Amino acid sequence: MDTARLKESFARVAMHGDEVALFFYSDLFLRHPETREMFPISMAAQRDHLLQALARIVSDVENVAQLKAFLQGLGRDHRKFGTLTHHYEPVGTSLLATLAHFSGEHWTPELAAEWQAAYGLIAQIMTEAAAADERVNPPFWDATVLSHELRTFDTAVFRVAALDRLTYLPGQSVAIECELRPRIWRFYSIANAPRDDATMDFHIRVIDGGALSMALGRGLRPGSRLRLGPPVGTLTLDLSSGRDVLLVAGSTGLAPVKAIAMQIADLPHPPRVHLFVGARRPEDLYDLPDLEKLGASAHWLTITPCVSDDPAYSGERGVLPDVVARSGSWAGHDAYIAGPTPMVEAMAARLASVGTPQEQIHVEDFGWSEPS
Amino acid sequence: MTVITGNDNRLTPDAVQAVSFPSARLGRRGLDEEHVRAFCGQVERELVRLLNERTALTDEVQRLRRRVLGQAGNESGSGYRQDDAHVQAVRILSKAQQTADRYVADAQEYSRQLAQDARRRRDEILTEAKSHAAVMLEEAHGEASRAAEAALAAPVPAATPAQASAERRELEAEVAYLRTFSDVYRAHLHAYLDALVRNVEEWERTEKSSLAAVRADLPRLPHYPQPPAPTG
Repeated sequence: MDTARLKESFARVAMHGDEVALFFYSDLFLRHPETREMFPISMAAQRDHLLQALARIVSDVENVAQLKAFLQGLGRDHRKFGTLTHHYEPVGTSLLATLAHFSGEHWTPELAAEWQAAYGLIAQIMTEAAAADERVNPPFWDATVLSHELRTFDTAVFRVAALDRLTYLPGQSVAIECELRPRIWRFYSIANAPRDDATMDFHIRVIDGGALSMALGRGLRPGSRLRLGPPVGTLTLDLSSGRDVLLVAGSTGLAPVKAIAMQIADLPHPPRVHLFVGARRPEDLYDLPDLEKLGASAHWLTITPCVSDDPAYSGERGVLPDVVARSGSWAGHDAYIAGPTPMVEAMAARLASVGTPQEQIHVEDFGWSEPS
Repeated sequence: MTVITGNDNRLTPDAVQAVSFPSARLGRRGLDEEHVRAFCGQVERELVRLLNERTALTDEVQRLRRRVLGQAGNESGSGYRQDDAHVQAVRILSKAQQTADRYVADAQEYSRQLAQDARRRRDEILTEAKSHAAVMLEEAHGEASRAAEAALAAPVPAATPAQASAERRELEAEVAYLRTFSDVYRAHLHAYLDALVRNVEEWERTEKSSLAAVRADLPRLPHYPQPPAPTG
């Protein structure tokens, strides 16, 4: 395979940005109208994903091992969208038509053959990974909402029951799709350690104008149907370290952190755990009663709520990095941090600066920041 | 500033979207980040538009060239081959998709603004209520303290033993404090509830009058079905 040639050809096509993905999907939907059903109404985010994935594949084309792992993940991940083996050929046809269209006079039969071969390889790796996953897992898990509670202006907590058991590690997250917003998937952390009755809790922060979070935060009712994707995420407890544990949660970052605390509660010899949960106002500490219940029965657990924007608050005042840093020495702890991006970044940097080794700092960045 | 340009060192829409600027050092004047982002967005859209125009023109040139050279022998009178028709269809579908995308984006932006407004209003109301409550408590405390002092200063019947009279004075002072505190508090609560009721009434009145105005604007229907009677 002439990788240099493929890269050069892709760079020329990619100059056209969004128009490339727009052409690709229109071409696909015209040739195979039934595939339109697999996508959301607005395709803007979808086109970004496609272009990013293509750019990643082309830039990694010489780094075979890394590229293969990426494509295998992509193949497994596409199962929940309803992608089947027979969809790969139409996609290849439309991809080549798109490349040909934007290459203009640079498109030659030899270049077409190069791309055909490259796509064949990509499709093969993705379909093989999907087939291997199919032997172990369903494409997604059906779940029903049991209870739903709007705890603050923009924070909701709900519990679901999955029809088939979903095996996951505390701290992991799953992609959620709900019937109110078909074909829109977003990742949310599971807020409890696995239970015998296979129920799972989720904490939703409603993002202003958010495509899915508005529906999950305010639209769900008991009985609403959801689909859950396979569990992902690396914010999981290191059981072998023997170190004490520092848990830090901002906003709904509490979800994975709480799951980890519940996991520790079930250990025969739990390490000492200090859990910090931060909010701007006291009323935004949306899960305190439940946490206090957990803390009351656990001598190994210390819980410190803190509030940054209310000078009248009687407990710890300040932002999480400040409160945590002044509350102890953390160099010998395993730290697990989750929440809005700015908070997670600031907290991880502060811990590093007070001597916690980088490999003991585990983070889950939610990719949004709280409105000011 | 970090810009990643394409292989031939030309600026692409993606590069404009991905450009990052370091923040100004503390104490130095910096540009408003939102303005810079908005401008980059405008530049990106303009670049995409120009590139698309160029593609469309190139297509047109090729089509015309084919026509002039007479290469497409079986070409119909309209000048389109089957490939052209497909590309036209792709264009039309793409336009429709972009329209749908814009509607969804507009709706999301509208709901974002609504939520922001609601949050701001909530914060204002909460702050106002908190300061109102603080004023109310202070006033009740002030009046109650004065009542207690008055009770302490009042003369005691002469025959009471000294120990008992001191206790009695203290109790009377406490009773006077609590009674006044609760009176002031109750008066404030009454005023607050009255204001709430007035608000609700005004809200109902405006709703009714605006509904009437809307109904008056509606075209007359031949017959207006009665809503079904509730069954539960």
